[in-house]
Amino acid sequence: MGRNKGIVVPGDFLGTTEEFTSGMGVYDEEGNLYASQIGEISISDKRVINVLPVVETPPILEEGDVVLGRIEDIKDTVAIVSIACVKGKEKREIAAPTQGIIHISNIKKGYVSELKQEFGYLDVIKAKVLDVKTLRLSTEERDLGVIKAICMKCKGDLERKGNVLRCERCKRVETRKISEDYGKGMI
Amino acid sequence: MKEGKEKIELIKEGKRLDGRGFDELRPIKIEVGVLKRADGSCYFELGDNKVIAAVYGPREMHPRHAQDAKMAVVKFRYNMAPFSVDDRKRPGPDRRSVEISKVSREALDPVIMREYYPKTAIDVYVEILQSDAGTRTAGINAASVALADAGIPMKDLVSSIAVGKIGGEVVLDLNAMEDNHGEADMPVAMVSRTNTITLLQMDGRLEKEEFERGLKLAMRACHQIYELQRTALIDRYSESVDVGEGEA
Repeated sequence: MGRNKGIVVPGDFLGTTEEFTSGMGVYDEEGNLYASQIGEISISDKRVINVLPVVETPPILEEGDVVLGRIEDIKDTVAIVSIACVKGKEKREIAAPTQGIIHISNIKKGYVSELKQEFGYLDVIKAKVLDVKTLRLSTEERDLGVIKAICMKCKGDLERKGNVLRCERCKRVETRKISEDYGKGMI
Repeated sequence: MKEGKEKIELIKEGKRLDGRGFDELRPIKIEVGVLKRADGSCYFELGDNKVIAAVYGPREMHPRHAQDAKMAVVKFRYNMAPFSVDDRKRPGPDRRSVEISKVSREALDPVIMREYYPKTAIDVYVEILQSDAGTRTAGINAASVALADAGIPMKDLVSSIAVGKIGGEVVLDLNAMEDNHGEADMPVAMVSRTNTITLLQMDGRLEKEEFERGLKLAMRACHQIYELQRTALIDRYSESVDVGEGEA
């Protein structure tokens, strides 16, 4: 349309399928390509046309994403996690179902005999997405695992003491798959 | 319509009461991204109508049974503030606002690419702060801009305006006085690029010829509004980017 000043909005004509291959933020209607997002046009060497969004787009989960969540339920072999946000896109809610699961085999490298030894109810955890469709998560890496937990008995905050967590109030000691970042408040 | 009481002369010497011509819009003001908390937002003024639209999501749909496994569900809420009209408007949903919410949602549905976000809900809230006839059209215009601001993939923007008949003449964009004492009111929403009409309602009576003339008038005005919506979005986001020299 020749009136582009770098930025396009949804519905702007970009070109035809003879000229370009449609990429992200572009849709094809009867051989014509139009923008579906507010963004800047970028054309690659292979003539793939993309609209790079200048607005924040709804975050979706991808394999390998690090997510933050909370343990909602603990079963014999799996822990149910309600995922709150994706690392790097904390501001916006995830545009997809958010109930993930961690299988006992994906908690840490070694053998886990009892899942209750690694996670507690309402623990805040950091995990990596293994599979988007089934939302299976893993906490195998060093920086993954529990980043905040409360005492099972008195609900007081647990402090990290070496490889275990200790309740300051009732002196109870609990075990977890602790993340390197436990209690630091960093994501 | 509400005739009978006293005849008000709505047209004098070929001009309307507020001095507009028959095919003239009220002044329009659009601001994008006015709310910090919302994912996308827009403030829209059409004459004395003041409307704010906020978009949240797509986010996980609750209750689960209302999810659509194939696409996002759009939830549209049109609400009038108690202070938006002359008398106090009793707050809360009523027959009118439920109807407007439904038709407005259906006016926007065809442009939103809902299949990208299955099992989610997109919440669109339209709040009427001040009303002067034609609030549903203002709400649709605002919501469409707010959806684009939220980064939700869309095929196009939707533009909307009302036409009506006052004092025997087909005119564009009625104000409250003209709406209350006129013969007909017809809101229209349209996808500008394809001339696809996504909302068409009518209150009162129009002759076939008047209807066709009115629709033409509304469609031309929708193109004008589309340009304003587009400019508002581009102005908002070209600040953050270096002046591009891109040519498509």
